[in-house]
Amino acid sequence: MKHRLMYLILTVLVVSVFPISSKGTLEQPSGTTLTVYAYDSFVSEWGPGPSIIEEFSKQTGYDVQLISVGNASELLRRIVLERGNPKADVVVGLPHSVMLEMINTNLFESYDAPALAKVPDFLKIDHSNTFIPFNYGNFSFVYDSLKVSRPPESLDDLLDPRWKGKIILMDPRTSSVGMGLLEWTVAVYQDEYLAWWKAMKPNILTIADSWSSGYGLFTQHEGPVVISYTTSPVYHIMFEQTDRYRATVFKEGNQTVIEGMGILHSSDMKDASRAFVDYMLTDAQQTIAVANVMYPANSETALPEAFEFIPEVTKSLLLPLEILAKNRDEWLTKWVEVMSR
Amino acid sequence: MNRYHMVRTPKAGFYQLIGIPGIIILAVLFLVPLAVVLSEAFVSDQGTITFSRIIGLTTDPYIFKVLAFTLYQAAVSTVISIVIAIPGAYMLSSYNFTGKRLVSAICMIPFVLPSILVVLGFVIFYGNNGMINVFLMKIFRLEEPPLKILYSFKAIILAHAFYNFPLAIGIIASYWERLGTSLGHAAATLGAKRFTIFRTITLARLVPAIISAASLIFLFCFSSFAIMLVLGGGPQFTTMEVEIYRRARVMLDTGGAAALSLISIAVAIILVAIYSWTQRVLARQEEVSISDRSSSRHKRPIRSIWVKLANLGYILLMIVFVLGPLASIIVRSFQASETRTGAYTFTLKWYKQLFDSLFSSSSIDTVAVTAIFNSLAIAAIVTILAVVTSTFTAVSIGNKNHIGQLRSELLAMSPMTVSSVIIGLGYYLIAIRLSNSGVLKMAAIVLAHVVIASPLVLRTVLPQYRGIPNSYRNASMTLGATVSRTFRRIELPLIRSAMATGAAFAFAISLGELNATLVLSDSHIVTLPVVLYRLIGSYNFPAACALGSILIVLCTMVFFLTRIATRSRIRHV
Repeated sequence: MKHRLMYLILTVLVVSVFPISSKGTLEQPSGTTLTVYAYDSFVSEWGPGPSIIEEFSKQTGYDVQLISVGNASELLRRIVLERGNPKADVVVGLPHSVMLEMINTNLFESYDAPALAKVPDFLKIDHSNTFIPFNYGNFSFVYDSLKVSRPPESLDDLLDPRWKGKIILMDPRTSSVGMGLLEWTVAVYQDEYLAWWKAMKPNILTIADSWSSGYGLFTQHEGPVVISYTTSPVYHIMFEQTDRYRATVFKEGNQTVIEGMGILHSSDMKDASRAFVDYMLTDAQQTIAVANVMYPANSETALPEAFEFIPEVTKSLLLPLEILAKNRDEWLTKWVEVMSR
Repeated sequence: MNRYHMVRTPKAGFYQLIGIPGIIILAVLFLVPLAVVLSEAFVSDQGTITFSRIIGLTTDPYIFKVLAFTLYQAAVSTVISIVIAIPGAYMLSSYNFTGKRLVSAICMIPFVLPSILVVLGFVIFYGNNGMINVFLMKIFRLEEPPLKILYSFKAIILAHAFYNFPLAIGIIASYWERLGTSLGHAAATLGAKRFTIFRTITLARLVPAIISAASLIFLFCFSSFAIMLVLGGGPQFTTMEVEIYRRARVMLDTGGAAALSLISIAVAIILVAIYSWTQRVLARQEEVSISDRSSSRHKRPIRSIWVKLANLGYILLMIVFVLGPLASIIVRSFQASETRTGAYTFTLKWYKQLFDSLFSSSSIDTVAVTAIFNSLAIAAIVTILAVVTSTFTAVSIGNKNHIGQLRSELLAMSPMTVSSVIIGLGYYLIAIRLSNSGVLKMAAIVLAHVVIASPLVLRTVLPQYRGIPNSYRNASMTLGATVSRTFRRIELPLIRSAMATGAAFAFAISLGELNATLVLSDSHIVTLPVVLYRLIGSYNFPAACALGSILIVLCTMVFFLTRIATRSRIRHV
């Protein structure tokens, strides 16, 4: 009897193997299947990926195989690793911070997509159009309006003692949002950026490893201010029906992050690849904006009402990429030195 | 006394063969990709061979400081976890009481949870605006949270103890159960006081199990990452893992990451070597005293009122400590703030979101359902494979000569000494070589989980295997049994309880694994942790709490059932 229970448990566990084979089998890519690499949250069922490829296939007849390769910083590494035996046709979701590296691999080709005409100039940082921007965001200190009556107006404002132990940040060594804030302080204070961080120390509640855990702390009301995106409140308005969380824009400007895509030289489906890029820049823009909670690159995209609630940045800050590439490690090392004291 | 020389010749073949499956899995999924990644440390940007990276890092005072802190926090966390675990292990191994199986099942839960969920659970429970503080503020009408627990060094230790003391309880209790009580009785007859007996006899004899647990906990804390940063409060608490991550993922400097990882590995290997050596020496002294029958015979119901009170006190503390953060996650999963004032009301909507298709007419399974099935199935296969191969490995190691033992044990433990970021880079090398077949990806995931879970199973089984008196084996073979028959009929039954504990650990590790699954599946095979991270990554924390709650309940059920099943099996022996 007792033996039987053991076997029953085993049987139940083993029988549950079957769903894997039915779900896990992938279609073999044939001559008509386009392979697109993207970061995980693009591919996820809550990301824009699934509905975009479904619509794209319906419109164009091309099948798309969407593959997640982890987070955005890993995309380029994967492409370089696969250099000898490339599988991807299009890569979606490269952050602008790796644009120079991307172009220097010589694995991507330029494409003057017609829809780029509707993309504002400040996003077209690569004049060769190898790095094709599809959405962007502005970093921002988001606050809980129930706890904060007078929101911060500038980076300097955040140094005020009234924020003691209240601000949630992210570590630039492990989080791209954290890196965004470090760049932001460099853009605003240049060589003096470390003074801001030093003065900021008492006001920091914690420096989280990732945006996910940091923003999680914020929505659990552990701290009233968090570094995120100006567009973050859109999620809460659209899916939680609350305008409790609000974004700030600073008078000295907000740091911008641009996400781009690119077509691989090695692709044997250039027409399909270009069609996909065109689709990403036109019909897919609204889906991308809503699911990524970011701004679409195409300025003619119709956006849901919730986006009207978002304050427009006074100035979009972007460090020149050459300076970024040259100095990033040094800024980071100095930052660690100051902050770990 | 020395069994190794006596038994080598006739058994050598059997014991060498039995270790092979473990070695093959380890080599293909771990050693080879790892070697490729680590070799990057010696390749300069120009493609020539260089040692400057290693030399530069080993002489960097900052890296030295980070390494020192890494070792320090891991040591403190290990000591604290073991100290809290010993009373629990005593209770589980010495008494029968109602709810015992449930207690030991709940003990396993923290182990399964992805670190981001532990962080959230901790914040919801211990945080400045957490349940404890809100409760105290209401009672005493305070304006500010009275208990500042998080964002400090003690918060890191608290979280590490939460994660790891169950591991210590499991390993120590399963060893303790098997200790014969005759030595203790003899001491009592000779007039020794109970505490003296505990200190000089019981504790001394438990040392092999304690060392086993301590070495695992130490390695887990050594590579701690998310907990360290979020709950510690910032870069003043930096571990080697953070610096490795920074180089591998942010700076895309694989060489630097590999070099740093080599330093970590060297330190960890030295520690594991010391552990293994001590443990082996001690296990040999213990041989005679382990008897199989003692377990069920001497276990007694609780009689003394003081013992009852002490037990009750311990359980209450554990409930607050372990169940607090877990319960917070479950409570949050049923809450929504519908109004602007933020007051929480009861809701089922997060669960509805997860299982939408079950309520609507859609024919497609929701991802949550698929993830639950995949996770359970993968964990079940991993458990079976990991327990079988690790038991074989333990038997193979246990029958080697001194140097051979040390060498193989270090090899078998090696996956735990390597940063998960570096292992992740290794998976990449595997992933790009896998064809687009779902079955292959599945196999790769399962085997990767086996590699990660095996050191734990080995660490659980090996001390008990070493404790088997050599006289049993010799008697069996003198009576004409073959080596394999002796293994099946004598040795296997004696290590069964440790195998059961190991199985539970393997199951837990597999259920909570994210890194390997994500990289190797190209995200096409979703598991519970994958979906959980995706929910959190797309702002949906309450739904992540709901899925986390399902994970918690599911694990409790599985562990509870396994306990019932294995308990009854042991009694049959």
